[in-house]
Order: sequence, then C-alpha cells, then structure tokens
Amino acid sequence: MPRNEQIYPIFLIRLQLETINKMQSPSSYQSIFEGAYGLLTGFATTIRHLFRKPITEPYPEFKRRLPERTRATIILTRDPDGEERCVACYLCSGVCPVNCISMQSAERSDGRRHAAWFRVNFARCIFCGFCEEACPTLAIQLTPHFETCQPDILRLLYEKEDLLVNHGGKNNAYNFYRHAGVAMGIDKGDHLGEDRPVDVRSLMP
Amino acid sequence: MPKLMIDDRKIEVAPGVKVIAAAEQAGIVIPRFCYHPALGSVGACRLCAVKFLDGPVRGLQMSCMVEARDGMVISSTDDEAVDFRRFVIELLMRNHPHDCPVCDEGGYCLLQDETIAGGHAMRRSMGKKRTHRDQYIGELVQHEMNRCIQCYRCQRFYQDYCGYRDFGVMGSASRVYFGRYADGALENPFSGNLIDICPTGVLTDKPARFKGRRWDFQRAPSICIHCSLGCSITVNARYRELVRVEARRNDDINGHFICDRGRYGFAFANHPDRPRQARINGRDTSYEEAIQTTTQRLSEIARTLGPDSIACLSSSRAGVETQMSLKFLTRSQGWRQPGCFVDRSEQNSVTAAVGRLTPERVVSLGEIEKADLILVIGVDPILEAPMLALAMRQAQRAGAGIIILNPQPVSVPFAYDHRPISPDDLCSTLQKWTRSISSQTRTESHFVEKHEEYRGPETPSVPCPLPPVDSLLQNSRRPMIVCGTNIVGTAIIHAAADLARDIHSDCRFPGLFYVLPGPNAFGAAFASAGGKSFSDILPDIETGNIKALILVEADPIFQFPDQERVKNAVKQLDLLVVLDYVPSRSVGFAGQSLAEMVSPAPLHVVIPTLTHFETQASFINQEGRLQQTTPVHVNGLPMSQLTGGKHPPRKFRSDVPGAGARAAWQVLSELEAVLSSTPADSITFADIWYRIGLAWNISVENRTEIPGNLRILSTTVESEPMTEHYRDD
Ligand code: SF4
Ligand code: SF4
Ligand code: SF4
Ligand code: SF4
Ligand code: FES
Repeated sequence: MPRNEQIYPIFLIRLQLETINKMQSPSSYQSIFEGAYGLLTGFATTIRHLFRKPITEPYPEFKRRLPERTRATIILTRDPDGEERCVACYLCSGVCPVNCISMQSAERSDGRRHAAWFRVNFARCIFCGFCEEACPTLAIQLTPHFETCQPDILRLLYEKEDLLVNHGGKNNAYNFYRHAGVAMGIDKGDHLGEDRPVDVRSLMP
Repeated sequence: MPKLMIDDRKIEVAPGVKVIAAAEQAGIVIPRFCYHPALGSVGACRLCAVKFLDGPVRGLQMSCMVEARDGMVISSTDDEAVDFRRFVIELLMRNHPHDCPVCDEGGYCLLQDETIAGGHAMRRSMGKKRTHRDQYIGELVQHEMNRCIQCYRCQRFYQDYCGYRDFGVMGSASRVYFGRYADGALENPFSGNLIDICPTGVLTDKPARFKGRRWDFQRAPSICIHCSLGCSITVNARYRELVRVEARRNDDINGHFICDRGRYGFAFANHPDRPRQARINGRDTSYEEAIQTTTQRLSEIARTLGPDSIACLSSSRAGVETQMSLKFLTRSQGWRQPGCFVDRSEQNSVTAAVGRLTPERVVSLGEIEKADLILVIGVDPILEAPMLALAMRQAQRAGAGIIILNPQPVSVPFAYDHRPISPDDLCSTLQKWTRSISSQTRTESHFVEKHEEYRGPETPSVPCPLPPVDSLLQNSRRPMIVCGTNIVGTAIIHAAADLARDIHSDCRFPGLFYVLPGPNAFGAAFASAGGKSFSDILPDIETGNIKALILVEADPIFQFPDQERVKNAVKQLDLLVVLDYVPSRSVGFAGQSLAEMVSPAPLHVVIPTLTHFETQASFINQEGRLQQTTPVHVNGLPMSQLTGGKHPPRKFRSDVPGAGARAAWQVLSELEAVLSSTPADSITFADIWYRIGLAWNISVENRTEIPGNLRILSTTVESEPMTEHYRDD
C-alpha cells in the first residue's frame, strides 16, 4: 500500500512536466488550435441558449404555486371547533434548534390550557420544520408563503395574533382534546377510546 | 459485607441493602417506579426486573425486592430483563391518557422517560382505556387520576412516612384509586412532597400549573429560609419570576423532603409591591443619590450628636454577610453595636442556645431520625420547625419513644407521651432529672427510690402512671433533647443543655437540638453580641438619644407589639434608613411622602436589596451549619408584571427593568467605604468573607463557595463574648 501511494504523485509530476515542455515548444500549433476550439464550443453553447425558451421564471412578475409541503412562514391553526389548537406545551420551542419560538402557557377562564402569548422570531427561524414535527396538536404548521422580508428586524417578530389563522391548515379534522384524557369540554370517559369512569366503591371483581 | 457483581462491576455493600440500591452505589441506575430510597420497596410496578445469573437467587427477579447477598452475579442488560421491562412499560401505558402536551409533569415525568427508554412508541392495544374522576384536593396539589400507574408511592409517603390519614388508596382490581374519601384540602403540612414523589402527572404542583416546563426554567440549589432548619431546596425561575420550589436531597438535614411552607412560600420574591427603586422622603431617586444623602446626614449626626446617637438593627432573616457587614460598619464608625432582634428576651434565648451548643452534643436533623428517645421541651414542631416533626416520626417508626413536655398537647403526626408540666415547674423538673440521672450513673443502686420520689409531681392526675422520664432517659442510648427558644426562657434553655451534658455516659450519647426563631438566628447571635435588641433601644429613640436608625432587612414596626409607640418614636428621628427586599411596614413607613410627617426635616431613605434567590447569601441554621444559596436569576421586575401577562415588549433595551437593587452587604460596605473615604467599587463577596474569616478566626477555603458541612459554633469560632445583657425578669 504505502508503495503505491508514493508512486502516484511522482507519476503525476512527470506528466505535468511533459505538458509544460510541450507548450513551451514554438512548433506546437496543435495546442493553439485546441485552445481556440475550446473557446468556440463554449460560446456556441451560450449562443444556442439565446434562442431557447427560458426555464427560469421572472419573479416577482410570475409567482408559482409552491408545493403544499414547502417550508416557510409559520402559522397557528385552529381545531374543527374553531378553538386555538395550541396548548402551549413548549415542545416546539424545546425542539427549535435556533430558539426562535417563545411563549407563555396559561389557564383560560374555562380551564383550558392555552398560550397567553406566542412569538416566533422569523429573523432567526431557519424553516427546518422541526416544530411542526414535534407539535402534538397539529397547531403549528409551516406554509409555502415565504415573502417575509422586512426593512425593520422587529417586524419579523410575529406575535400570536399574527400567526393565528382561522382554519386547520393541512388537517382540518384533528382535535387534540377529543383524544386527551383531561375533562375539557368533554367529560371523563367520553373521549375517543375511553371507558366510563370507574366506580371506586364497587366491590365487583 | 456481601460482595456481588452487577453488570460486570464488583461491589461490596452493607448487609440488608436491596439489589437496586446496591446497583446505584456501583453507578448503575435500574429503572423503577415504586421503589424510593426513603419509602422502601413494595414490588408494585415490576419495572426493576433484572436477571440473576449466578449465586443464591436465579432467574428474573425484582431488584427492589431481593437483598444483595454474597456471590450474586446480576445483569440489568440481559435480553430477558430488558424485554420484560419493555412489556411492563407497554402494559402501564395501556390505560394511560393521551395527555402529555397538557400535563404539567412533562419535563419531570419518570413515566415519559421510561417509556421513551423502553422504546414504546406506538400503541398496540385496541381496547378502551379505563378512566377515573379527579378530586379537588386543595390549592397546593392538582389531582388527575387517569395518569396513575399504581406505584403506591403517594400512599406510602402520606400514611406511612408522614402519618396523615386523609389521603390513601381505595378500590380493588383495576379500579385502584389514590385520593381522599371526599373532595377537600389535604391536611398534611408536607403534602407538597407528593408532587416530587409521584412519578407521573397524577399529583402536580398547582400554583405552578401551566407556568412552564422544567427545561425552560433557570434552576439553582438554594436554602429554605422559613424556619431555622435551613432545608435544601431547588429553585425554579423563569422570566425573572420565581415559579416553583422543589425539595433537594440533603441527608444531613431534610433528607428527600421539605414542608409546604418551604415549598410554596416564595411569593415574597415576586411581590408586585417589592421595593425596586431607592426613595428619599417618598420620592424615587437613584441609588447613588440615596447613598450620598444618607452618608452626608450620618456624618453630620455623628459630628454634632456623637456616634452613639446612631443605631442599627438587622434581623435573623438577613444573611451572614449582611449581618456582619453591618457589624463592620458600626465598628469602623464607632457607632452602637448592631442588634438583630426586636425583643430582648428573644435575643437572650437565642444567645443562650447558641452559647450552649458544643461539638460533642450538637446533632443535625438527620441524626434525630436515629434517636431512641426524644425529649421535646417547649416547642411546637409543626409550627416552629415542620421537618423536625417528620424526622421525629421517622425516629418513632424505628422504635424511639417521644416525650413532649408542654402545658397543652401539640398537634404532631405521631403518638407521643405527653407530660403536662406547668411552665413554672419545667426548669426545676429538668434539673431534678439531671441530678437524678447523673447520680444514678455514678451509683446505679438508688434506681428504685428515685422512681418513687418523682412520680408524684410529674403525673399528678394520670390514672395509669407513665414511666418516669428520668428512668426512660437512664435506659436510652441515644437520647435527643429538643428544646425551643420561643416560649421558654433562658433558664430552661440552660437546663436542657445541662441535662444533655450531665446524662452523658460511656453508653449514653445524648444530642442537643435547639429550634431557633429564624433562618439565620444563629448568625444573628454572633452579629448582635455586644448589641442591644430593639426593645432596649426604643426608649433611647423616644428620649432623643438616638437620632439615626438603620434597619437592615428588619421590620420592628411590624414585629414590635405596640406599633403606634414605634411609629411615634421613629417620627422623632433625624434619619431613618430602611434596607429591605419585601414591602414591609417599615419600608412602607419610610417610603411615604413626608407631608404626613410632623417632625422638622427628618430624612427617610429606602434602599431596595436582593433576596437570597438573586444573590449569594449564607445562613447558619440552628445546629450551626453554615450554608449558602446560589443565585437563580437576576433581580428585576418579573415579565408578567412588566407586560401584564401579554407578550414581551417589542422594543430593544439594554438594561433589566426594575433591577435597581443591590445585596444588603454591598450597600452597607459602600456606606462604610464612603464614610471612611476609601474606594468603594471593589468590595466583593470574597472580601466580605475574608473579613468574616478574620473576625471569627476560621479559614474558609474558597471564600466564594462555602461547603455545606461547616459548623460555626461559639466554642469553635472566635467571637466577642455573647453575654446576656439583661436577665429575664
Ligand atoms: S408544539 Fe404545538 S401545541 Fe405545543 S406549544 Fe408548539 S404549537 Fe403549541
Ligand atoms: S404523566 Fe407523564 S406520560 Fe403521562 S401524560 Fe403526564 S407527562 Fe405524559
Ligand atoms: S398517584 Fe402517583 S404516586 Fe400515587 S400510585 Fe399513582 S402514580 Fe403512584
Ligand atoms: S422545615 Fe423549615 S427550613 Fe425546612 S422546608 Fe419547612 S420551613 Fe423550610
Ligand atoms: S421498583 Fe421494583 S417493583 Fe417497582
């Protein structure tokens, strides 16, 4: 092995020396010809493309509809009952690699857990989509809308009001509180896949 | 000493240790739910399964149920054991609700951790989940019974460890229910530990409900300052607001638990009316101006009326640094020595107790659990030092007898032998026992006579005579004398110490345990040596001999019984300086606008200080243990108060709002520096400890971090003689 590794560079050096010797020789018209040929074929490609239909699109005159799963601006969606889906569980902020999500969880007057405030700093967000993946309630979702440039960096701080939409985003059916066990709007035992609450004082086997 | 091998690691453990604990000593943590070092084993959860490969026991067994024995070869990573544990987790998750996002245990949840560790990600069971109705169990603990995994930790803690009966287990089969018989607040003053001890989200911290997740909190080890025991706690803060307190294990003091006062008593640090800005005569001002005005007036008063007209008062809740910087300040300026107590008899009692603790007799709270007889004199444990009651219960569960000498019965969660002795006879009775036991130790023959002699007065109307205390003491090996300082006078404090000293013999090792009236009352005894209590300087204020009063984290307007008298006296002062971190009465008095004042041109200055959550502070607990807190966050207006619960402000600023306060010792050191015209800007925590070290003649290795096992006793450190200036009348 070491033998081969040593031979290889020596062989290369020799090849280079030979080429240099050749080019220095005044009689090598062949190399001049080869150089010109290379230039002309290059220009030919350019000229050919001048007469072809372009594959790029003139943005912003033309705005293409991006695939649904494109990852850009974040929204907070609502469940089928029109309630905010987010329960302020801190999973999205916990997973965010650049720490651009912050929030404060709180108890709503009816006992429902929600975000008192929720902020995404789009000046930091790298649109990795981890938050969407972590969200257990399908509340936070990335959308194809990417045009968020602002002249003032503070305008890239989106508060809950800016993030909240009035639809379910990619899923209009899921309602976390129908699956959870806490009695929030739905009584114990009435959630999906639940038995009626047990009678502790029963002596039946 | 059994020698065994766990996961290829050889270890030797004490006899009687369970395999799960032995593994922990070798650095291997076997998964568990129901086992807890303080509660022992029940074998309820089946999660701690390990494979016994060789030795006296073979096969798959619960490591929490098998005692470590010689020659055991154990594998916690054996395929069979790992598979078993995986299925146990899956089984426990069978009925578990889909609650994690709204469950406050998330971040603290052992069940979540073990589920992830076991690799159980997808639910396979198609059956319906069992559900339970929840209960209202008070304002401190939240109950959500669906999440229970039947580990019985709560019930064992509540009933066996604490001795309260209103929470327990009910039902049969898969209906097993942990709760109260009916809705209602928990009666146990240690109920907050249920939160720490429940491995799931059934029992969670109610005041901290929905406040945040553990991974977002700023956490720091700290010390509880709600009584003189100084239990170890972990403090959680977020957005400049204290959110929750947890127990921190400290086997010398509180073990695994703390009381509810310590757990929930942190609201003062978030108080919306906390002083955050220096004030002069009711007008907000800068810290620098406050210092300058104060020092000018102080030197004026010292020049015209003499240094004796300036008095300083600290308290037993101020840290050692604060108390001692006040002492250094008064010493360097030649003022009166500082006091640390409002009441003269309190100062005398604490001074007496601190003076009587010796290295041979002093015991820590952890050692109370190992006593075989506890004599409690003039102290109501649940009221004055709650964890003491829990420690005494553990002693009793291990077989100790407990005798409480109190005129009325006290409410404690264990059976005790109540000796109603009137306060007038208490001292003489103690002295009689002392004499009787020390003479019996010398000549064992008078034993029976002594019985007859003392039975009468002790138990006057009890039909079945209780065994005499002196004979119980006589027959014990590790008696503990627990004595209060609140209602008993110095004579009894001395009598208790004499008893502990004189019953010492070759086979009897008594311990002496005083309960003091504040987290740093011990330090206050040192700092106030040579100084007078507030009740003694009050006449001097009234007669005009004292013209300037500096209150450092002390609140005599609230604590002195006659508040109007104090207010009238304080109105005659030329200068009143109040340093504090809570909106105390004294802060309120000194902070009001002077239009309401009558006296000519007095100066009232309020300077805000830092709590022990925001700065490093040291406290000496009732056994002389010097302990230190670690700051958990910076001082400042909590964000929720800044924005009214809305999102954080949308503008940049470089300072922390509401962060004008400094540690009291910093303020005092600066006052001292300005008054003595020395540079003030470089006084650090280490400098203060250098001076304290010199004053007490102790060497604290690294002065910015004090080990938690350093005992400061009056016999081991040098200090001014702590005489009781005025005897109790
Ligand atoms: S993960 Fe989803 S539910 Fe949880 S805080 Fe983020 S957006 Fe809200
Ligand atoms: S107890 Fe643990 S596993 Fe269960 S819902 Fe709460 S956080 Fe999730
Ligand atoms: S309530 Fe908690 S501590 Fe009590 S049995 Fe259930 S899981 Fe265990
Ligand atoms: S016993 Fe005293 S020091 Fe310990 S937690 Fe309770 S109040 Fe705090
Ligand atoms: S820890 Fe051993 S069975 Fe639960």
